[in-house]
Amino acid sequence: MEPFLEGLRLVLATDVLIAILASAVYGLVVGSLPGLSATMATALLVPVTFWLSPIAAIATIITASAMAIFSGDIPGALLRIPGTPASAAYTDEAYALTRKGQAELALGAGLWFSAIGGIVGTISLMLLAPALAEIALSFSTYEYFWLALLGLMCATLVARSSPIKAIASMLLGLLIACIGMENPAGTPRFTFGIPDLLGGIEPIPALVGVFAVSEVMRAMAEAEPPKLPRRRFGSILANQWFLTKKYQFQMWRGNFVGIIIGVLPGAGADMAAWVSYAMAKKFSKEPEKFGTGHPEGLVEAGASNNASLASGWVPSLLFGIPGDTITAIAIGVLYMKGLNPGPTLFTERASSMYALYIIFILANIIMIPLGIMMIRAASTVLRAPRSAVMPVILLLCAVGSFATGNNLFAVLLVALFGVLGFVMEKNGYPVAALVLGIVMGSMLEQNFVTSLIKSDGDVLPFFERPVSSFLAALTFSALLWPLLAWIWMRLSRRRSPA
Amino acid sequence: MQVTDRITGGVLVALGAAAAWFGSRLPAVPGQDIGPAAFPMLIGFGLICCGALIALGVGQSFEAPEPAEPSSAPKPRLGAVGVIIPPALLLFYAYASETLGFLLTAFIMVLVAGLALGSRLSIAIPVAIGGPILVHLAFAKLLRVPLPQGLIPAPW
Repeated sequence: MEPFLEGLRLVLATDVLIAILASAVYGLVVGSLPGLSATMATALLVPVTFWLSPIAAIATIITASAMAIFSGDIPGALLRIPGTPASAAYTDEAYALTRKGQAELALGAGLWFSAIGGIVGTISLMLLAPALAEIALSFSTYEYFWLALLGLMCATLVARSSPIKAIASMLLGLLIACIGMENPAGTPRFTFGIPDLLGGIEPIPALVGVFAVSEVMRAMAEAEPPKLPRRRFGSILANQWFLTKKYQFQMWRGNFVGIIIGVLPGAGADMAAWVSYAMAKKFSKEPEKFGTGHPEGLVEAGASNNASLASGWVPSLLFGIPGDTITAIAIGVLYMKGLNPGPTLFTERASSMYALYIIFILANIIMIPLGIMMIRAASTVLRAPRSAVMPVILLLCAVGSFATGNNLFAVLLVALFGVLGFVMEKNGYPVAALVLGIVMGSMLEQNFVTSLIKSDGDVLPFFERPVSSFLAALTFSALLWPLLAWIWMRLSRRRSPA
Repeated sequence: MQVTDRITGGVLVALGAAAAWFGSRLPAVPGQDIGPAAFPMLIGFGLICCGALIALGVGQSFEAPEPAEPSSAPKPRLGAVGVIIPPALLLFYAYASETLGFLLTAFIMVLVAGLALGSRLSIAIPVAIGGPILVHLAFAKLLRVPLPQGLIPAPW
């Protein structure tokens, strides 16, 4: 009980409460602007967290990302442009509801089930993480190697993209992570004589480049999205209790699937939303209504993506392996603030962990009133001209990346990664896999090389311990999954004309 | 910047080959079989395989088709050339901010980006003045980031 009270005291500090409120508003606004994703919102916050206390820093990351994931539903429902990739799965459905004159229902479902998903996900984090910490204490470099590789393989299972291109993106990220001298041998690699490269490529400039600068580049080449007509909304939450009762089973299934996908390293909110939406359609009693403005899929996928956001912290806190790009940023912040991820975090820093849970619950509760305010203000916020927003974002990219090390080289890196991200996205290479490769490269190599040295170059010990063989099996199934899916597609296509 | 899979695959093969080749030339750690070369070489070979498969068109069936652009929407002012402006402005910031100072560099950057995005001068100029001032207040004043003073030092 004492760690809990201590955690509560940590959260109720004035600076933490201000940080939660400010980052909530920031997350809601940025997430609602089309093209500005939750990852980008979080990445641009990192320089700000340098100057905050550890708990306030984590609170800003948690709150801003949760708000941005919900708020991505707003332009999705009103303009058919998903604000964040996690909303893309059900954007068409929400927009169809809006066209039927039920925008309140679509937005309210996004808000209500996001909040429920977030709270259920947090409870799963509270229950799962300490229990898994017990097991994780006995992990050796073999298990860590497989976990890191599993995370990377899961990150390549992105919806609507070629798995081979995703693996190539991931390998490119790993190659970029090789730059510098932070490798087990301490040898400078691929530095091309540039002293700034000796320290390696920091994830933040890479993230800001591929997620923010490339978005500004895209805005330059593409037409401005249509303006939102002014409208007055009726009651946002009016029918949500009815939906909760009617689709209770779907809601729990969405929560559950979201939790599972979140716990898997490397798989995050976007995948949870796609899987849950597909599942809702597959098992629905009225699948023909999907796509015509039917709330069932919204309930399940909306609950799922926010549930995965909280449970995605399980691998991040326990092993330092990110569940998605947002937790990849969060891990960096955790290290910076002396809360190094690992199983001992739950025993040695128990009060900080309780504070983290409380922040999650708090963020999901204040999401409802603030979200309603945001929906009502959406007509005004979404009218902000893109030609005024994007230049300021570009300036923030420059200043934010400079602030991470007071080094102008980071600004050059941001420009470089912007171009790389833009070219990759245009050609169908998923950038999230690249980023996770960069973030996890040194961890993967460290555990790979240490394991090989321990085993004297033998690969068999990688499969000998029970947990490591299980993780290896999971990794290989993630690798073979696209192949199986392809064979399944071929077989069912051959069967259907007959 | 959309090119064929054959080209991107080819680039990946070349990159993988370069990584494996330069990786293999890294000095080994005395008395240790596994040195700094192992990981880059492994990645290099992986990239060669992926690049070759992509160039051959394997895995295309998984890709979702690009959504068609609505033709009625007005095209941006500069067309496809505009995409180089954001990275170019970042380079400008990296090389000019020390001499020109933050406020002037940021003003030019925001103004050029705004105009390139089709903003009118009556909007672009106030944004280019107000934006940098707010960013400077937040980062230099509140977060104590040492932003360069340059030609026009901030009055606060």
